[in-house]
Amino acid sequence: MLLSLALRNIWRNKRRTLLTVSAMVVSSALLILALGIFSGMLNDMLAAATEQYRGHLVISMPGYQQDREIFNSFVPDFVLLEELDKDPDVLGVSPRLRGFGLLSHGHNTYPAELLGIRPRKERQVTNLEKHLTGGRYPAEEAADEALLGRGLAQKLGVEPGDELVFVTQAADGSIGNDLLTVTGIFATGDTTHDNSLVLVPLAWLQKVMVLENKVHEIALRIHRPDKASVLADRLSALLPGQLRIVTWGSLMPELQEAILSFDASRLIVAVILYLATGLGILNTVYMSVMERTREFGVLMAIGMRTWQIRLLVLSETLIMGLLSLIVGCGLGAFMTLYMQQVGIDLSRHLTPITYAGSTILPRLHAVNEAGNYLLPAVMLLIIALLAGWLPARRAAKLQPADALREE
Amino acid sequence: MPLIQLTDVEKIYPLGNQQVVALSEFSLSIDKGEFTVLAGPSGSGKTTVLNLIGGIDQPTRGRIEIEGRDVGRRSTRALADFRLRHIGFIFQSYNLIPVLTAAENAEFTLMLQGMTKPARRARIRDLFADLGIGGLENRKPRDLSGGQQQRVAVARAMASHPAVILADEPTANLDSQTAEGLLDLMHRLNRQHHTTFIFSSHDPLVISRARRIVRLRDGRLEDDRVQQP
Ligand SMILES: Nc1ncnc2c1ncn2[C@@H]1O[C@H](COP(=O)(O)OP(=O)(O)O)[C@@H](O)[C@H]1O
Ligand SMILES: [Mg+2]
Repeated sequence: MLLSLALRNIWRNKRRTLLTVSAMVVSSALLILALGIFSGMLNDMLAAATEQYRGHLVISMPGYQQDREIFNSFVPDFVLLEELDKDPDVLGVSPRLRGFGLLSHGHNTYPAELLGIRPRKERQVTNLEKHLTGGRYPAEEAADEALLGRGLAQKLGVEPGDELVFVTQAADGSIGNDLLTVTGIFATGDTTHDNSLVLVPLAWLQKVMVLENKVHEIALRIHRPDKASVLADRLSALLPGQLRIVTWGSLMPELQEAILSFDASRLIVAVILYLATGLGILNTVYMSVMERTREFGVLMAIGMRTWQIRLLVLSETLIMGLLSLIVGCGLGAFMTLYMQQVGIDLSRHLTPITYAGSTILPRLHAVNEAGNYLLPAVMLLIIALLAGWLPARRAAKLQPADALREE
Repeated sequence: MPLIQLTDVEKIYPLGNQQVVALSEFSLSIDKGEFTVLAGPSGSGKTTVLNLIGGIDQPTRGRIEIEGRDVGRRSTRALADFRLRHIGFIFQSYNLIPVLTAAENAEFTLMLQGMTKPARRARIRDLFADLGIGGLENRKPRDLSGGQQQRVAVARAMASHPAVILADEPTANLDSQTAEGLLDLMHRLNRQHHTTFIFSSHDPLVISRARRIVRLRDGRLEDDRVQQP
């Protein structure tokens, strides 16, 4: 009956209740949407950095990731590759050779970063084929096919089918050069990659650079990027000789920082947004308690305990909070889903922003993440409880005789 | 031993920097089964006396005993429990809870006492029939007349069979005919259930219906007499 009394008290002033509930609904739904977009942005950044280029874990010789020294190469152990491939936490394993040099087409010459890969392997680690704007991904058995970024392709003035000349210093000190055929063009939005990255067959690059059978790194894609360091620790036991394994986080510490601080930022945003909402609720509940002073006097006079009065007021706010929470989460999920499926493309107004070793894409795109609901939900209930607490205390502190004299 | 014993009770309300003496040197003893009116002009201290007996207000000085136990010096919690089990309140402006139906209002104290719903409903049905408001159980207070509301309030006060019913000017908002009806009812309940009634009024007609008249003036006992019917 106490619960039904609370429910009826809520419906007593429908307009006020609706206003309070909508304030809570709107603020929690917007918070969920904002956090979803925030998550989407971090996801984009992590994806841009790892799934378009680096991978989540990288195995290389000590120091290679810092200086990218051409001689810092190694012969990948066949057994190691097998074992990595078989590991249930590893989704893809791609041995790579990297070479810096000049690419020419006609009179145009530009510096480029060539990544020697085996297409079938590389596709398990990075997803550049999802960003093709023309042509196709290099074929597995092709000898000299090149996939290059759109910026670079435009500067060179090439299209799929055109020929390129690559010139570089080989490992034996000679000048290595050879012909490539443009087979595809990608655009990721990340200008560093779009303006300089070229994917070529591993065997072709090994020959040009006179590094037969050698690679510079083995890039891995893994199941749980957030647990990269745990897996890295486990896998490092498998590594022969001097090989080292590093995580995306240690390659891009700023990005890792940004992602790790998301929990804190999420909390801060929620606190700020809910502060305003909380004050609104507090005001409403206070008003409704003051208006019912006499009624509380009656309830106390006929024997209701102070804790029951307190509980009554608290349940009123809590019920409103729960109601708002359900509707707010629903609305938030709906908007997040919309932003996930459709999103808003801002590329006509903004260019990609390079930040923390990665790229913030010019789009609003949300991801659904449990934490983005949990926090707003828990916070809303806490806010409702806090906002109900003072008025409830006030009601419970009333002296029945005084309350009854109140008009 | 009297049911209610007030001894040298004083009640002072602070009002800004001043003090209002609502009651002073007030002694009164009431036996079980009495039908007593507190009479006196507005501001004479009637409500204060009822509030003190009902344990919703504490005296500044003096003792208030009910069944030999001091009411004035109990904890808030104990007082609430005491009111729940021993006291029934009826107010001038009915003071029903507007969101509850007539039956829910009347059974509220039973609910607080932990009685099951079927048992509550059964008792309320009998009580409503007895009070002449049978069939109005599911009406909201705003859909009832003043007289009907006050009967629901009587039902609420009677529901848990309290020892004492305190009624503060229960007829003040009723027309004289309805007031008569309510007094008849209170008389009958007093006779049938031996419930002690203490009510206040400044209406001579109502006062004349009481068996004992306690007159107050400026917070003091002016006169105390039993009248022959
Ligand atoms: N809470 C209060 N604060 C100050 N004065 C009060 C308060 N309650 C009652 N009084 C004063 O105490 C006196 C007695 O009041 P009351 O018992 O209500 O009289 P009655 O019920 O006979 O009209 C009046 O003068 C009234 O103004
Ligand atoms: Mg009065």
